[in-house]
Amino acid sequence: MLSKRSLYDIIDLVLAEAKPFDARVLVNAGTQGLTRYANSEIHQSVYEDATEVTITITTANKRSETKTTAYDEASLREVVRDLVQNLTFLPEGEEQPALVEGPPLIETELWSAGLEEQYTVEKRAQLIKDCLDTLDSNHLAYGALTYSVGHLAFGNSRGIKRFARTNRVNFSALVAASAGGSGFAKITGSHPGKLDVFAAFARARQKALLNKDPIDLEPGAYTVILEPLAVSDLISYMSLIAFTGKSVQNQASFLTGKLGERVFDPRLNLTDDYTDENTMRLPFDFEGAARTVVDIICAGVPTGLTHDGQSAKKAGVPTTGHSVNMPNYGGLPINLVMTPGEKSLAQIISESDRALLVTRFHYMNPVNPRQGLLTALTRDGFFKIEKGHIVAAVKNMRFTESMLVALNNVVEIASDREATPSFFANHYVPALKLKDFHFTGKTQA
Amino acid sequence: MQEQIRTVLERLKQAGVDYADIRVSEIVEEGISTENGKVQNLSTNRTKGYGVRVVALGSLGFAASQEFEHMEQTALEALRIAKASQVAQRQPVRLSPKEAVVDHYATKVGIDPFTVPKSEKLDLLFRAEAAMREAAPTLFKTVGNMDFRREEKLFMDTDGSVITQTLYESGGGIEAIAVSPKEMQKRTYPNSFRGNFATAGYEFVLAMGLVENAPRVAREAAMLIAAEECPSGLFDLIIDGSQLTLQIHESIGHPIELDRVFGYEAGYAGTSFLNPAMVGFQYGSKHVNVVADATVPGGLGTFGYDDEGVKAQSTPIITQGIFQGFVSSRDTAAVLGQESSGTARADGWRRIPIVRMTNINLLPGDFELNELIAGVEDGLLLSANKSWSIDDKRLNFQFACEMASEIKGGKLTGKIYRNPIYTGITPEFWNSCDGVANEKYWQMFGTPNCGKGEPGQVAHVGHGSAPARFRKVKVGVADVK
Repeated sequence: MLSKRSLYDIIDLVLAEAKPFDARVLVNAGTQGLTRYANSEIHQSVYEDATEVTITITTANKRSETKTTAYDEASLREVVRDLVQNLTFLPEGEEQPALVEGPPLIETELWSAGLEEQYTVEKRAQLIKDCLDTLDSNHLAYGALTYSVGHLAFGNSRGIKRFARTNRVNFSALVAASAGGSGFAKITGSHPGKLDVFAAFARARQKALLNKDPIDLEPGAYTVILEPLAVSDLISYMSLIAFTGKSVQNQASFLTGKLGERVFDPRLNLTDDYTDENTMRLPFDFEGAARTVVDIICAGVPTGLTHDGQSAKKAGVPTTGHSVNMPNYGGLPINLVMTPGEKSLAQIISESDRALLVTRFHYMNPVNPRQGLLTALTRDGFFKIEKGHIVAAVKNMRFTESMLVALNNVVEIASDREATPSFFANHYVPALKLKDFHFTGKTQA
Repeated sequence: MQEQIRTVLERLKQAGVDYADIRVSEIVEEGISTENGKVQNLSTNRTKGYGVRVVALGSLGFAASQEFEHMEQTALEALRIAKASQVAQRQPVRLSPKEAVVDHYATKVGIDPFTVPKSEKLDLLFRAEAAMREAAPTLFKTVGNMDFRREEKLFMDTDGSVITQTLYESGGGIEAIAVSPKEMQKRTYPNSFRGNFATAGYEFVLAMGLVENAPRVAREAAMLIAAEECPSGLFDLIIDGSQLTLQIHESIGHPIELDRVFGYEAGYAGTSFLNPAMVGFQYGSKHVNVVADATVPGGLGTFGYDDEGVKAQSTPIITQGIFQGFVSSRDTAAVLGQESSGTARADGWRRIPIVRMTNINLLPGDFELNELIAGVEDGLLLSANKSWSIDDKRLNFQFACEMASEIKGGKLTGKIYRNPIYTGITPEFWNSCDGVANEKYWQMFGTPNCGKGEPGQVAHVGHGSAPARFRKVKVGVADVK
């Protein structure tokens, strides 16, 4: 993989070639080794090494962009010539945000030698094998163990430079009984000491053991306890459709016209906080802006939105440093941290007279973003709780619910939180207990 | 390039692999978006690299890189991966037989989209946007999109295949968005999610009639804002091609993927309610005839050879309602003692080929559209997808559409509803089909955003269909208290 010096050389070459135009250059170099297993054996193990250069050239009202994996000098010069050529025929468009001017340098080292050493392809295979060996003959396991390394560099015509070196592990485990019931666990992180693959696998196995002879429940409103993976899914989709400046400007967000009003339970606090050690911790965004901590929800009141340069300019505010270089979405919150409650998940379960416990959701999608209406199905562990105990597994059901309603029906927020994968990084969230959560359909498994 | 690949394949054979293939891919993509008469995005993506796949001692390994001077090193990494996997291998990987092929395939293109000036493309989108705004000046936003793709592929393997392909894709669409203090409504043409796409040239975009259809699309968006909320209950539905595309995709296309059936996707995308013993199962009514056809001209899932070097095919999936078989790759087909259906594809050089849909087409029936409508006493005509979700076994689905048109007494009343949602269980739904419109109404839609696999891959697939009628389908969720 290319070194920091090589990435900076690419940036300098492009910026020199682009003069006198304003340009910004993002170089994303990474390797990823992913070992995938199914039916209790490794069936796909893959490795990739890729470097992608994103070049954006702007004038006051024009923008032209390209991504390329050809980073040799001749290819880069040709690409820049094409971009400049585009500016000659492009009509005047939206006013472009000014290039980020400071601070001149942000570099961060988020790379762990321990992680690199512990997750080679051979050790990943052996770890999976050791997990699989804990299963009895009635169960099979499915999932993936991924080790990725990233070198991310940025520079622009104002002379700023950014660099981050990262590495990370993701592990998922689905354990299924031959009779059909399954359990699931997923972990993510970059601290070798905090990643317990065996414990995650054991959680999935334990859930699968509980998930047998499921009962049928009719659609209706139920009290639910959503485990962190399920909460994270809700939060991820909410961030996409509602927490960005762009979504509000598009009048597509269910928070349109509601900023500053109390629309959620007053115990709810949600912050996009890259400084939390349980998040990805990247201190700059894809436009080179210093990432800031944004309070999205304070005591049930939506107070802040995340911006990239374009949506910030339109809103007349400084960028919050949340560009993922997807202007259609605007700046996305990717490190959402929810304030914990006071009771542990175990205590919340033990104090529940009647509730349904949800391990995770499957195939979530917004039904109506403006109404905050989401839908998804339960998956890999859906249980009925009575008098503080799991009394039965339940056949999977579909919910269709407005988040404006669901997050006003908070009964409890758990004190224990988990780092859960999100679209671009990861969130750090607790379990939630919600009343009157609408399951609108059921399925046969 | 071919000589370099031959040398590396030879090196792998010397190292003891049972089989190896190397796939080089060079992709150029152009994306154009306009919004409210201004350019929102003008971008070009270029990527070139290669993937090496080996089978050694019954294990599979894959490594990909863009560094061509390190091809041997990458190939040996693939071998290292295969060897590492043996520690957790229960059954050796077997590949179904295929012929060694030397061939070239190219998409038939009328106008190479990359030769058309970007300014000309922008002009077409601006004219379509202007026509929308003129027809409905109260619109909050108008949008235009175009996307073009060219992929040059080279596939070589240790069996002696040398296959080159040049694949083109073109497409686009328009959107009209209306808002009120509490609602946002969108109408699209020719379909939602950036439009319609085909393996074709710029002539495909010109033939869409973006400007001609813009006024209708704009007026419908404005009408939807004022329309009533779609009622809940059991209704007879006629679903047009713009929505039926995704219905076919989610409830037929994915369940018939043999890797899902065998659990290869269980930890991520899910499995299937189908199993090999269900060939002969009553999937739908006698009106339901479905093929997986990678050869149909223009389909977004049309190609010459898949990414395992297997020739494109057309295979029956459902015949008069009876399930016939799966789409497969060489490794999954071998489990059933069959040959691959030629449907293993990767979304680029970085990723390993997996089982993907090609063009999963619902064949035309023999009804006129007005005959289908005439057979509905109290129902809805649904158009264009807005939201989709289906369970991990592909049984319980729920779709939201852009617009529902009311049918009463066998006629469209002219009344429209906003926010229609319908839901069902896959085999029950397809068995409720009692008519498909004839070939006059049959149209292909491209779905360029089909996600599957780890690391994630996005496939470009196609679906042909004509409007079809379904009886007593559950509409809406508002009745669930």
